[in-house]
Parts: sequence; structure tokens; C-alpha cells
Amino acid sequence: MTVLRFHRSLYLGTAVDEAVKGFATFAEFELSEEPEHWVVKLTHADVDRERRVAGELGNWALGLSVQKGGAGSEAKARA
Amino acid sequence: MAIDLASGSARVELDESLYPLEAVYGAAYIFIDRCYVLLDRPSAGRLRVTLSPKTGAATEAVLRPLIGELANELLSCAWRYEITKANKTVIEQITTRAIAGAMGPPSLDELEKFDFSSDAFEDPLGIAMSWEDKYKKKKDAP
Amino acid sequence: MSQLVPLRGRDTRSQAFFRFRHVGEKVVITNMEGQFLLLSRPEFDLYATGKVEAGSALHGLLSERNFLRSDGQGAGDAARTADTVSRLQSRKRFLHQGPNLHIVVVTLRCNETCVYCHASRANMDATHTDLTPALAEQTVDKILQSTSPDVTIEFQGGEPLVNFPVVKHIIEYALEKNRTVGKKLEFTMVSNLSLMDEEKLAYLLQHKVQICTSIDGPEHIHDKQRRLPGLSAHRAATTWIKRINDAYREMGLDDTLYHVEALLTTTAETLPNWKAVVDTYVDLGCRALFLRPVDPFGFADKTGHRVEYPRMQYLEFYRQAVDYMLELNRQGIQILERFAAIFLTKILGGEDPNFLDIRNPCGAGIGQIAYNYDGKIFTCDEGRMLHEMGDSTFLIGEVGNTSYRDLMGHETVRALTIASNLDAQPDCVNCAYNPYCGVCPVHNHKTQGSIFGRMRESSLCAVHKGIQDYLFGKLGEGDPHVLETFRRWTTVRDRSHFVQACST
Repeated sequence: MTVLRFHRSLYLGTAVDEAVKGFATFAEFELSEEPEHWVVKLTHADVDRERRVAGELGNWALGLSVQKGGAGSEAKARA
Repeated sequence: MAIDLASGSARVELDESLYPLEAVYGAAYIFIDRCYVLLDRPSAGRLRVTLSPKTGAATEAVLRPLIGELANELLSCAWRYEITKANKTVIEQITTRAIAGAMGPPSLDELEKFDFSSDAFEDPLGIAMSWEDKYKKKKDAP
Repeated sequence: MSQLVPLRGRDTRSQAFFRFRHVGEKVVITNMEGQFLLLSRPEFDLYATGKVEAGSALHGLLSERNFLRSDGQGAGDAARTADTVSRLQSRKRFLHQGPNLHIVVVTLRCNETCVYCHASRANMDATHTDLTPALAEQTVDKILQSTSPDVTIEFQGGEPLVNFPVVKHIIEYALEKNRTVGKKLEFTMVSNLSLMDEEKLAYLLQHKVQICTSIDGPEHIHDKQRRLPGLSAHRAATTWIKRINDAYREMGLDDTLYHVEALLTTTAETLPNWKAVVDTYVDLGCRALFLRPVDPFGFADKTGHRVEYPRMQYLEFYRQAVDYMLELNRQGIQILERFAAIFLTKILGGEDPNFLDIRNPCGAGIGQIAYNYDGKIFTCDEGRMLHEMGDSTFLIGEVGNTSYRDLMGHETVRALTIASNLDAQPDCVNCAYNPYCGVCPVHNHKTQGSIFGRMRESSLCAVHKGIQDYLFGKLGEGDPHVLETFRRWTTVRDRSHFVQACST
């Protein structure tokens, strides 16, 4: 199992959600939250594939966060 | 800065007062075609960037140049962030002039498709209001 | 014991905005509008520390070139401000209009295989890479919508002569359409000339198409790098260069102005042969030589280990070649180096020659557009080349379904305009050559992973800085023959013969 922790001040929650949806068919996912992180746990029988999916998902979440204006933009939008 | 051969990754920890988040995003982003990139905040005021090469053996010879390139890109992005703030007006003016000059005026077809109904600006004095709307007789009001 | 050097006190009340760079024993200073001075080290010291004596010769020079601050109340201040504004406007005159250079790839097919081919040429049976007449017409329709009053259609490939029927169709269709549009229209063609014949030449001459080709130096170098099966590519090109230049003379055109333009692509093989390269061009009667370094697009990506070299080696080659060209000029043989001419026009002439690759902001989208054989449109030729390599970042539309204004307003065009603004670029923002220089965001993207790039690590920046260091070094030496040659290199003579007549 690979555990990815996305800090709330660096990644948009919506970006993480969207990234997980994008990779939903490629691994087993479990989502949870910690006070400072969005947590994504993923599992695949093939260790290499698991690493690859985890890495690509992380990149995608980063890319989407940047594209949407960064982690601060959600707070600005709510304000 | 650290190289973790066990996990095949290189990590750089930063002082956020020196490298604004926008600069960290910009620097980290350029690696996503060849590395898996993860950002984290180990403590208040600190950021951490972890790079793991997508392919090939993640040896020290591979990871060390990645750290160097990341460091250079971080400096470049941080400085660019400051320059852009300082020169925002001239950058905007040149870009606007260049794009407007290249685009030219809209055609009648393009004007027809333009949505003039959206509120483009606040009008507290009613300057943009038509004479009829401004002086509409009360009996005509719905 | 402390190793720190105490900072000297400076008076900064007298200096207007300036940037500086050490070049040899001198210091070049430039200001916002691109005026420059070459100062000795002691003179620069006096200026930088605010100790230039009022009324001195140095003070007069600095004042005349607008390097001294004024309080705005002086007798000449209004005129000086107007002069500064005029100079800035002159340097940015291209901002008010759209793309003037339109590159049309009429086919990817080519009968030569060049080791550094950046166009990603296709084999001669790849007819699916030919531009069709229908798409050609849509391309011309798009081109003539440019807001630029001047439009040049440049035929490229592959080898454009392979699809000559469509070249003719474009010329004739554009001429007909332009009768109502009224652009100052010109045609150019970049060709290896090996498929030229008298019939094609007659057509191109009649229709005033400027012809440009490649000569990589003496025959053994050229033919090694540009393979033409069964024949000598060098002999084919040089034969037709001579024939075309003779034809211009027969037409009564001034051969100092009208001749085939030839370009060099500098590879590792070329570097030690700087003298032979220049001699080849002189023997061909060429008046200009463009010492271009190899770029990272197309085949050069794979053949880099053979053709590439550190840029310091290129700059050594450049200095030797241009020193030799200056010596030839001293002997009365007129030959010009194109990079130098571009920079010197900006440095000495205060004008921007609108060379799109060295412009601030660059010409991507707003100065040039590349139209591929399949109707796809790109911000520039380099963007199109990257597409052929599998990277479509700089694709901005298609001739059939993207309006002209949507092309110009495309977010990629906007991003490249911002990314190539030197006032937003680390290093460039402080560089003395800022008023004269330009960056290529597509080159940055390819070599460094972002359209912004890092100039200290950019091979293109190294070339631009190195060439300008060389030119300012020569200016600083003050040799009258060199200065006169440089001034001659900045002279832009109108080549009105190539402008197509139109009636509106």
C-alpha cells in the first residue's frame, strides 16, 4: 500500500478528488482526511504499477492545483 | 537537501520566506514530465519538494543533478516572481498592445456573438443607463 | 582576520537608469531606450560613484546619451523626454501590428537527408504530407487577415519544390485575393535547389519569389551533412545559385541587392573550417552569411552527439569567421554577417529590424505564424517542428475552423508574449544587452522544460551574449575600418522588386 499525503495548504481538495477519479480504474483507493492533509491510500498487486499510479496521481493533483490557482484560491473563492 | 537512495528520491527543504509558494509551484511543475513530484509542509514556514525519477535507476549520480536543477529553477522562479510584481504594469501594457495590435478590431459577426448583457462594471451613478430606463414613468413600472 | 572588502560609498543622485557589463578592458553601459557608451574602467568608476565632474567631457557625453538624471526643469528636458519616448517607440514599433511572416509548409517530402534537419522531413513517397490546394486556399485566406500591412508568405518543407503545383496555386490565389485586400505582399522560398529547373525558375522569377538556400561550407562538408542520393547536394545548390544570380543581373537588377540568400547551419564539423566556409560564400558571390548554430529541433535531437558542441566553441568559431570577414571587407570584398547586422542595427541604428527570433517580445504568434501541410497552425516554425517531434504545446488552431482573432487571442500566444518579455526575465532584466536582445520560449521549453527557461543555462543566451560581447569589443577598439564596415552592415536597402503589385 502506498500512502500519499497532500498538504491542504499546497494542494486543492478538488484537485486531489479529480486526480483520484482519473485513476480510479487503475488501483484500489481509500480516501481520508487528517487535520493538515488529504490522505490517499492506494493498493495494487503489482508493486511497480502501484508506484507508477501513485506518482502520476501526485503529479496530476499538483498540476490541477496549479492550474486552478493554487491551494490558496479555494479560500479566496469562499471569502 | 537530501538524497534517499532507498526510496529513490531527492528532497529539498525550503524557507517559505525566501521561496514564495508560486515560485515553488513553478519550479516543481517543470519536473513532472520526468519525475514524480510531491510537495509537503514539514513545519510552519517550511516547504519540502520530493523528486523521484520516473524511469531508470535512481542513483546518486542521477539524483544529485536533479537537486541542483531544482535549486536553480527555484531561484529563477522566485526572482521572476519578484520581477513580475515590480514590472507588472509595463508587462501588462506591452502584452496588451501586442495582442490587441495582432488581433485588430472585431468583425460585425464577432460583435454579434458577444454577450453584452453581462454586467461588466458597477454603475452607482447610473451613467450607463439609457434615458428611457432612467426616466421611466411610474405608471409604466411593473 | 576578516576577508571582507569594505563597500565604497556611492552617490546615486546623478545617474539615470542604466545597466552595465564588462567587455574586455571597457565597460558598456546601456539605458532603457538602448543608447550606449563604452567607458574605461576609471570612467565607469566615476560614473557609478557619482563623481563625474560637471562640465567635463565625460559629463557631456553622459548627458547627451541620457545617462544622467535631471530635475525636469532644465532647458532641454522636454526635448530629451520626447527623444527618449521616440526611441522607445522606434524599438517597439512592431507591437501595433500582427504577424508579417507566414511560413507555409507545402510538404514534408524532401529529396535530401540533412543530419540536423529540424523540419523532420519525410521520404519522397510520403505524398500524404503534401498540402492540398483546398487547404492552401484556406491558409492564404487566413494569412491575408493579418493586421500587419506587410505580409510575407515563406514556402518551406521538406523541400517546397517537391510540391511545386501547390506553390504556384498559393502564389496565384494570394495575388488574386490581395487585389482587394491590399497588403504589401512578398513571397520567399527556402529550398535546397536540387529540384530546380529552367521552367520552375522562370515561374519564380516572373512571380518575384525571393529564393533562399543552405550552404554548409565547402563541398566535402556540405555533402557529408546534406545527402542527396547519387549526386552532390553542394554542386546542385551552387549551380543554381549562380544561375539565379545571373538571371537577376540579366533582368537589370542590382546584384549587390538582389541575389540568392544562403544560410549556414554550424555543426561540429564546421567549427574548425571557419575560413573555408567564408571563402565558399565569397566565391559564390554571396554578400551575406548567417552563422547559425545548430538548434535542438527535429533530427538534431537524435544526431546531437554528432553535430552538437559547447557554445564556447561556437563563439570561438564565430569570432574567427567574423574577424576574417572584417579583414575581407578591408580588402574591398563586401560580405556581411547576418547575426551581427541584426544586433548592430539595434545598437547603432536604434531601429528594430524585426528579426522575430531576437525580439522583445518574440514573434511567436504576434510576428510569425507557421501553417503545416495538414492545416494545423502553430505559433512559430519552432513550435511546428516540436509538433513533428510529438509535442503539440504550440498548436493554436486549424485553418478551417479557427478564426484569425482566436489565433491571436490564444492563451498560448499570450503566454509566449509574456514569457519572452525581457522585463519579466531573471538575468535579462539586469543585462546590459536587454535593449537589443530576445529569447525563444519554444527553445526554452525544449531544452529546459518551461517557456521561461533559465538564461544562465541557455545555449541561446550564451550565443546572443557572446556575439554582442564580440561586437561591443570591436566597437571599443575603435578601428575606423571596422566601424565603417559595421555601419554599412546596418544599412537596410529597400528591395522593392520583390513587393507584389496589387490594385485595390
